[in-house]
Amino acid sequence: MNIREVITTINQMQTDGVIDQYAIGGAVGATFYLEPVATLDVDIFVTFRSDPESSLVSLQPIFDYLKARGGTVEGEYVVVAGWPVQFLPPGTPLVTEALQAAVETDVEGIRARVLTAEHLAAMALQTGRAKDKARLLQFIEAGALDAARFQAIVARNGLVDAWQKFERQFLSDAS
Amino acid sequence: MSFDLQKILESKRALRRHLAARPVTEKLRMLDALRERELAIRGSAVHPEASVLHEKPAPYRTRKRKG
Repeated sequence: MNIREVITTINQMQTDGVIDQYAIGGAVGATFYLEPVATLDVDIFVTFRSDPESSLVSLQPIFDYLKARGGTVEGEYVVVAGWPVQFLPPGTPLVTEALQAAVETDVEGIRARVLTAEHLAAMALQTGRAKDKARLLQFIEAGALDAARFQAIVARNGLVDAWQKFERQFLSDAS
Repeated sequence: MSFDLQKILESKRALRRHLAARPVTEKLRMLDALRERELAIRGSAVHPEASVLHEKPAPYRTRKRKG
């Protein structure tokens, strides 16, 4: 079980032209900015060379590529190096923007493209489950967000009401 | 031994800050270990899976392939 092997495999898949761009999101993406939190899967956001705007997105080429290299398909996941990996085409303007703004970083000589802290936080706000709210709080408590960048993303993506509600719920005593 | 909640909370915050500041490679190794531990704990759970209250997976509002 080795998450760096997952990243290496995805880099190779990009080099081989199966995907255009990718970025690590979810709890694994958040780990690049915060303390590690147990997670069972890896969320990889992807775009394709063919038609990035198309609503008819098939993940079959990814599944075929990884199966040919020892990956196993389990429902909507492909298990790579012991980790279930979920590939997610951008389904909202926020995710599209997040993918474009993702940053490249180095993991012991391995290139890794990761969503920015501000986009991960905004996506957590948009998704809005209990654990997403907890993650957003983690980002805030850790001082991992550029406030101006985060607020701009929130405003651009129609999340101002959600943010104000979050602030009332969780941050009213912190001011 | 006194029970000082504020001290405990501050100590937890300090640990989280310390972990967050570790090199990313080390944190990714921790994720590997955490997942193995999580699977081991789930595997030994005494409650049948069906009775466990689950949170729905993140939708990310992904468009699905039609037809």
